[in-house]
Amino acid sequence: MKPLETRLARLALKGDQRAFAEIVDLYKDKLYHLAYRMTGNRQEAEDVVQEAFLRVYKNLDRYDENQKFSTWIYRIATNLSIDRLRKRRAIYSLDAESSDHEGLDGYAMLPSDDRTPESELLLSETQRLIHEAIATLPVKYKSVMILRYLQDLSLQEISDVLDMPVTTVKTRVHRGREFLRKKLEHKL
Amino acid sequence: MADMKCNVAVVFMHDYLDGDLAREEAKQLQEHLGQCPSCYARYESLERTDAFVRTLPIEKAPEHLADRIMKSLPSPRRPAAWTSWVRRHPAVSAAAIFMVVMLSSFVAMWNQDQELSVTGPDLEHVVIEGNKVIVPEGQKFSGDLTVVNGDVQVLGDLDGNLTVIDGNVSPLASTAHIAGEIKTIDRAVDWMWYKVSSWFGTLAYGS
Repeated sequence: MKPLETRLARLALKGDQRAFAEIVDLYKDKLYHLAYRMTGNRQEAEDVVQEAFLRVYKNLDRYDENQKFSTWIYRIATNLSIDRLRKRRAIYSLDAESSDHEGLDGYAMLPSDDRTPESELLLSETQRLIHEAIATLPVKYKSVMILRYLQDLSLQEISDVLDMPVTTVKTRVHRGREFLRKKLEHKL
Repeated sequence: MADMKCNVAVVFMHDYLDGDLAREEAKQLQEHLGQCPSCYARYESLERTDAFVRTLPIEKAPEHLADRIMKSLPSPRRPAAWTSWVRRHPAVSAAAIFMVVMLSSFVAMWNQDQELSVTGPDLEHVVIEGNKVIVPEGQKFSGDLTVVNGDVQVLGDLDGNLTVIDGNVSPLASTAHIAGEIKTIDRAVDWMWYKVSSWFGTLAYGS
């Protein structure tokens, strides 16, 4: 018996929209959480999730059933999030140069909804500090740490998702953990 | 390995937190932590970091997102049948495309050729009147005669095959004599067959 997602993917490939709706239901929260931690921004997270499902839908015929469905869908969402972060960096470094007169630097223009009322969903100062520490992680550690801690993936699964050797994943988890430790050490 | 170096201990700490440290090595780490206060502090700090990161609440997707996703899908899903068939049978697909291209070029050529054309080795022995090609009485045409888009009337001798494409052959006069075969081709399919066989003939005999 094939796993549920694989059967749903097959049905969706045959044009069954309800099967695809079930896939969306199974993964929307996981992908949203992933994208939100990666981008630190709710609107962008929504866009990433929507784009990810669209790609899954369009490429269902290329899904390799020997691979876990979750690995495949996480890879798509992680790559889209990383693309967003790269694009954002490119745009903001340009903007920073052109808007010298207004005294804005690249950081001040980073899209972040930390100051919106929504950020009150972070219940405590502790959560806010952790959220910020994760937001400042360099991208290559961020993706590994989020998959490890917030999606509870094993080192092997992360290596499959990111298509890199387990030893590299390990090194990045260690460095990411040290990075967070230094950020949080004196605050918590 | 009674006195572990602190840098080794740090690697072990991380491996331990990853759930990736062998029992024997974990024991060694434990021993070291008991003797080295700075490593112990570091381990505690890492462990705390780990625990805190795990406390971050799961962010649920907003209610409207699933709807928005389903509406954004290109619908109805195109029948994936033929594209995936093409992907699975590249050779057959290539052959099919080749046939289509050949066929359409033949048909195109056939439709283009509306003008009378006469082919043969001995054309001074024929007379053309309008779109009618005549081998006059008493004349001898030696070789094959091919006429496209025209009628043919043979009154004299034709020492070879006669091929008429999209045209008619008038009933043979009593004076006429044709040594070879008479072929009349009317339709594109026949004409294509003729083209293909003459093309292969050219390949085979080089003429």
